[in-house]
Amino acid sequence: MKRRTFLAASLVLPRVAIAQSDTRPTITIAVQKIANTGTLDPLREQSSNASERWVASILETPIGRNQRGKLERVPGLATAWKRIDDRTVELALRPNVMMHDGRTMTAEDIAFSFGPERMFGDALPKDIPAVARRHWPALERVDIVDAQTVRFVNARPDITMEGRLSAGGSEIVSKSAWIDNGGAWAANSKKPVGTGPYKLRSFEPDVSLVLDAHDDYWGGRPPIRTLRFVEVGETAARIDGLLSARYEFAADIPPDQIATVAKHAKFQVLGGLVLNHRIIAHDKHHPALADPRVRLAMAHAVDGKAIVDSLWAGRARVPPGLQWEFYGPMFVDGWTVPKYDPDLAQQLLKQAGYKGDRIAYRVRKDYYTAEVATAQVLAEMWKSVGLNTEIELKENWPEVLDRAGPRGSRDWSNSAVFDDPVSSIVNQHGPEGAQQTNGEWTNAEMNDLSRAMESNTDMAARRKMFARMLQICERDDPAYLVLHQNATFTAKQKALPWRAPPSFYLDFSPRNWGT
Amino acid sequence: MLRFIGIRLGRALLTVILVVTFAFVVLRLSGDPAVTIMSPEAPQAAIDAFRHEWGLDQPIWVQYVDYFAAIARGHLGDSMRDGRPAIDIVAERIPATLALTIPALLMKLVLGIPAGIYAALHRNSTADRAVMAGAVAGFTVPSFILGLVLVLIFSVTLGWLPSGGREMWSSPILPVITLGLGGAGILARFTRSAMLEVLGQPYIRTASAKGLAWRRVVRGHAFPNAAIPTITIVGFMVGSLIAGAVVVESVFSWPGVGRLLVVAVANRDLAVVQCILLLVATTMVAANLIVDLLYGVLDPRLRGTAPAGAH
Repeated sequence: MKRRTFLAASLVLPRVAIAQSDTRPTITIAVQKIANTGTLDPLREQSSNASERWVASILETPIGRNQRGKLERVPGLATAWKRIDDRTVELALRPNVMMHDGRTMTAEDIAFSFGPERMFGDALPKDIPAVARRHWPALERVDIVDAQTVRFVNARPDITMEGRLSAGGSEIVSKSAWIDNGGAWAANSKKPVGTGPYKLRSFEPDVSLVLDAHDDYWGGRPPIRTLRFVEVGETAARIDGLLSARYEFAADIPPDQIATVAKHAKFQVLGGLVLNHRIIAHDKHHPALADPRVRLAMAHAVDGKAIVDSLWAGRARVPPGLQWEFYGPMFVDGWTVPKYDPDLAQQLLKQAGYKGDRIAYRVRKDYYTAEVATAQVLAEMWKSVGLNTEIELKENWPEVLDRAGPRGSRDWSNSAVFDDPVSSIVNQHGPEGAQQTNGEWTNAEMNDLSRAMESNTDMAARRKMFARMLQICERDDPAYLVLHQNATFTAKQKALPWRAPPSFYLDFSPRNWGT
Repeated sequence: MLRFIGIRLGRALLTVILVVTFAFVVLRLSGDPAVTIMSPEAPQAAIDAFRHEWGLDQPIWVQYVDYFAAIARGHLGDSMRDGRPAIDIVAERIPATLALTIPALLMKLVLGIPAGIYAALHRNSTADRAVMAGAVAGFTVPSFILGLVLVLIFSVTLGWLPSGGREMWSSPILPVITLGLGGAGILARFTRSAMLEVLGQPYIRTASAKGLAWRRVVRGHAFPNAAIPTITIVGFMVGSLIAGAVVVESVFSWPGVGRLLVVAVANRDLAVVQCILLLVATTMVAANLIVDLLYGVLDPRLRGTAPAGAH
């Protein structure tokens, strides 16, 4: 053997040996939907929980969430954070974080990810800055203090900045990779280069998303060699594929199918409550709904527990209004949804002078789990107290929101994107929220409270404001009624050492694999 | 003949324009793509920006004129979901669909036509009843039911075949069978009926009376005449090669044009839907044109009067 050949072989052989010794499994996960918009950019995929299943495998936020706990904030790409003042947060970045393009993450990547090329610039598709502004309504700039330190500076006081830094929409991308890929959003939206435990191999919209282990991941060597997310829209096909060992995981299992999977000894269904509530939104301009007592009567007529027990096998719950314990100090103890009381509902209808006018109830065909069955149960509950609701099945959101008709009530859901009511009640029902911008509902006091809460930093005062918001939106001038907290279920081969996080995220990081 | 072809082509073009126009209007009146793609939680500013970017804030007639002007320039539009040319997105899916529909078409022909001929030649026998019972079952059981039953038997219970996807060599087997059985049943029924009608004709009796072997009578006289209605059905099947597997592709998670169409309609991805419909309409019209021409080949009496006789 020539010396040059020997040297070349000595360089190659260890790599081959490593490759051959890689006994990590390839895991295939059947999901109902990979991405609604055909891109992998969280800023375009902003309103869907479909992408929540895989985004954090590729892209990470500066502050992490404890997916094995209660989603509390934990060090992520930032090892520590502190308040400089009520509108500035300083992050100490984790050293030696290797990005998928082989470069080490620096403060430049953080600033770029929140800069004009990525979030707020004119060259971006026009919806991207608008969505980014919803995530960061008052972000002024990101200052680079040094290579490992950045400061997020807001234009106004904001107590939720740390929460926003842990939420979707704040993912960090590689500046170099973005520029090397042409610098345009369109190309980069399908080729995210981040810091997560898995890096993109291929993406075929509506078909598959294939990720390979990012072996230099700061959180340890990923336990899976290749993750394959395949889109299988039919529940039966996902379950059949799991039982026939074609998939190792089948996500988005409806509650009525849990027993189907569980009767097979080698499989199990994991999962539970997530930070999302199913709600029914009202159009207060509908003649029959103009009186708030009619909307409140609708809430009192609903036996949420019966729905949870019958359609969710008891694995969801009726929550304490539009809030989650995850809010921590902002959680309003003692608040409940209006109790199930048909007599009270009838009294309220009588007081309101309700004459049995038809109220359209717009529903999509199982966009939400068990949506049609739930709607049928609700219609009967409302009918039993004298409400004349009529289910209108709609194909898509524009039909649900169509002002012609007229609109009455409709199905919807609301998520806690981060641990503050600003992320949920203000986000959807506040002055810039969709329920107001599409003209269904408005309330001057709610709007004043929403604006005040966004910039108020006194927790006690904010909590009081939130309690008043709940009173307005769920009692005094109901904007919605809270039906139940949602749950998500994932079926898997029992032997695989994976736990279901308390979120939609299917976490295959080293932290969530193994006993 | 040229005039005949010219008239047919003109009608075909008109059909394609009408199909695309219908789809254009219906899709725009039945849901705003901006809200559908971005969801109702999206900020109003984002929805407005999206509408403006894709010209959805223009009057529908302006959008219509722009669309046909673009087609005239050879551009079928871009996907609103990911910005790529619609034709590229559709073209990527065609091989996958043809990988199902062509074998399924062959299966329909190989099973359906011989079964129909056999049943006709053994009319009212046990074999005839068995073949027809199978044929009726084949085309009356919905493909999504048949597909799931096959998955239950061959994937879940026996573990022999994959239940979906396209990665393995054996992946197409179940979807092709699902597609093929239904079509074979239809062909068997039509072939049997056509054969029975022809077998009762005087020229068949004459041919038999002249001493021709029964096999030659069937092959030389009965089948060519019975082929005309059968060819009509086969023409429809050929025309459905591109978009004839919508349900089966969904059941088996097969990444073809049919599944793309479902997703594109659901998302109101207008350019992609219109591109697929344009393709489907063109294929169907072309298949019908070929069938019309084949009538003349199969039946010399129709050559001079093809337009009238073809119906």
